[in-house]
Amino acid sequence: MAQGKKGGKPATTPAAGAAAGGDIEIDDPNSQPGQPGAADPGAGGGGICDIDPSVCSKPADVAAAAKKTVHAEIYAVQQIYALRYHRFEVQPYWAFSLNDQFVSHNGPGLGINYYITNVLAVGINGNLYSGFNVDSDFNFQNRRATRVAVPLNEYQWGANLNFTYVPMYGKFAGFGDFIFHYDAYVVGGVGAISTRPIPVIDPDNRNFPYKPKIAFNAGLGLRIFFNRWFAADLELRDYIYNEQLESLSIGRTQKEQQDQSTWYGGNSLTNNVAAQLGVTIFFPFSWEYRLPK
Amino acid sequence: MHKTRKHLLLSAAAAAFVAVASYAPRADAQEIQLTGPLAGAPAVRKLRLYREGRIDIEPSVSFTLLDEYRRTIIPGATLQYNVTDYLGVGVWGGYGVISLATDLTDQIDSTAARNSRTAPNVNHSGTDAASFAKGPSFADQTAKLTYFIAPQAQFAPFRGKLAIFQKFFVDTDLYVHGGLILVGVQERGSCGFEGKPACTDPKSFALESRTAVAPTFGLGLSFYTSNLLSFRLEYRAFPFSWNRPGFDQRGSGNNAKAPDNKVDGEDQTFKFNQMITLGVGISLPGQPKTSD
Repeated sequence: MAQGKKGGKPATTPAAGAAAGGDIEIDDPNSQPGQPGAADPGAGGGGICDIDPSVCSKPADVAAAAKKTVHAEIYAVQQIYALRYHRFEVQPYWAFSLNDQFVSHNGPGLGINYYITNVLAVGINGNLYSGFNVDSDFNFQNRRATRVAVPLNEYQWGANLNFTYVPMYGKFAGFGDFIFHYDAYVVGGVGAISTRPIPVIDPDNRNFPYKPKIAFNAGLGLRIFFNRWFAADLELRDYIYNEQLESLSIGRTQKEQQDQSTWYGGNSLTNNVAAQLGVTIFFPFSWEYRLPK
Repeated sequence: MHKTRKHLLLSAAAAAFVAVASYAPRADAQEIQLTGPLAGAPAVRKLRLYREGRIDIEPSVSFTLLDEYRRTIIPGATLQYNVTDYLGVGVWGGYGVISLATDLTDQIDSTAARNSRTAPNVNHSGTDAASFAKGPSFADQTAKLTYFIAPQAQFAPFRGKLAIFQKFFVDTDLYVHGGLILVGVQERGSCGFEGKPACTDPKSFALESRTAVAPTFGLGLSFYTSNLLSFRLEYRAFPFSWNRPGFDQRGSGNNAKAPDNKVDGEDQTFKFNQMITLGVGISLPGQPKTSD
């Protein structure tokens, strides 16, 4: 953290002492140490050093200051525009399905994170898919034309515990005229997703209930700050889980067809890649920097 | 039932929002200094103008996304002249050298029945209903994208740098692009009309070429690793209608959404075609200008 370290100013030069002759001439621009007419620090001779000797440097102090190691270091980013340390982040977003051309799983979501450090957060997020799944028209066209059905699945909800790490931050210039700040982060976690097959092989008999499955997730995000507490947020997140598919075979008798144990087929490791577009609101809205700019 | 659940979720979200907001302690903000020696100064000084007055030559490779029956890999190149640092005009072109069948296409090829019901839609080797059998691969009847020519303008309003772990820095700009695209499409020719083969005839599954004209737009990031070289990551959309599987899927019934034993333009369905492009840019002259 840039302001977590002290800035590297060289050691300060000793203040000019009082002018010879006993008058206090602190503001005399010609009064420089070593010049005629300037007081030698610590040499006495009246002035402010006589009134309060503790404010004047001694020759030994100047020598010690010269030997002091100077951390002449300039940080890439000083006073980070939007600090995250010990702040809450609320992220409402809309998720767009990116990799499922058969059924799109769009829907609203909400994330809440707490930044333990300026770059590491722990949080939760939830997605609501129920009512927003879209069975693509081409599934029907394909079934009608080729008599081949592809097992389809729809989602109900997802909930996850996540860790977020922010390794990148910086600023962009718009038209070379105004500057806006951004950061980029990686996120990952574990949770659950509730899904079920859409009956396409034997829709007359099958009606699947939703079942939650363990889901892992990993993603990348970009936040663009409009001010110190409000930002636009774009995230790509891959939710990985083991999907249970509809069985491709149908029982010969009605009893077999209505037996739920015959409805399910194989499992398939599934990646649900989503683009999550939303906003971020940080709380508290403002803070105080520990070190000056 | 659904509404009640949604209301509960919204109420919970609102309660969480209020709880977090009320927890937030008061803190003092540091305001931006509007006075002093930097007042009125430009936001950026000595900015390297990687684009202004330069010609970009950018070999690239593109990959289509969310394909139903075929994936296309397109080697190509962009030639662009940048009028200002924000605005460039040029052309992107490419050819779909590699066209791969998706898993769905392979599944249809291996499992679809060849009979009188599927004969207008899945190619076969038979000459009559009694002799339908598996013929040419289903992949052979699916449409292919061949050439791409896109005259376009590129607008790069945002410029900055990316820092990773405060160790690695690269000058970056974010741009949007838009224009027209001409796409070569090979798709199943028309059938079922007078003078054309019947749609159950294996000959009717031959592909014919046409050119589709569509809008194209997208956005991208340029990473300038040196004055001469840059890397680009670009997203492009080029929506238009085409008959990707070669089916007779429209033309009769309500809203003409049922098959009519004919294949023609009505069987072309809308697709929001998308691709992602990786490119290496060479900018000439080799030395960019700098701003004041």
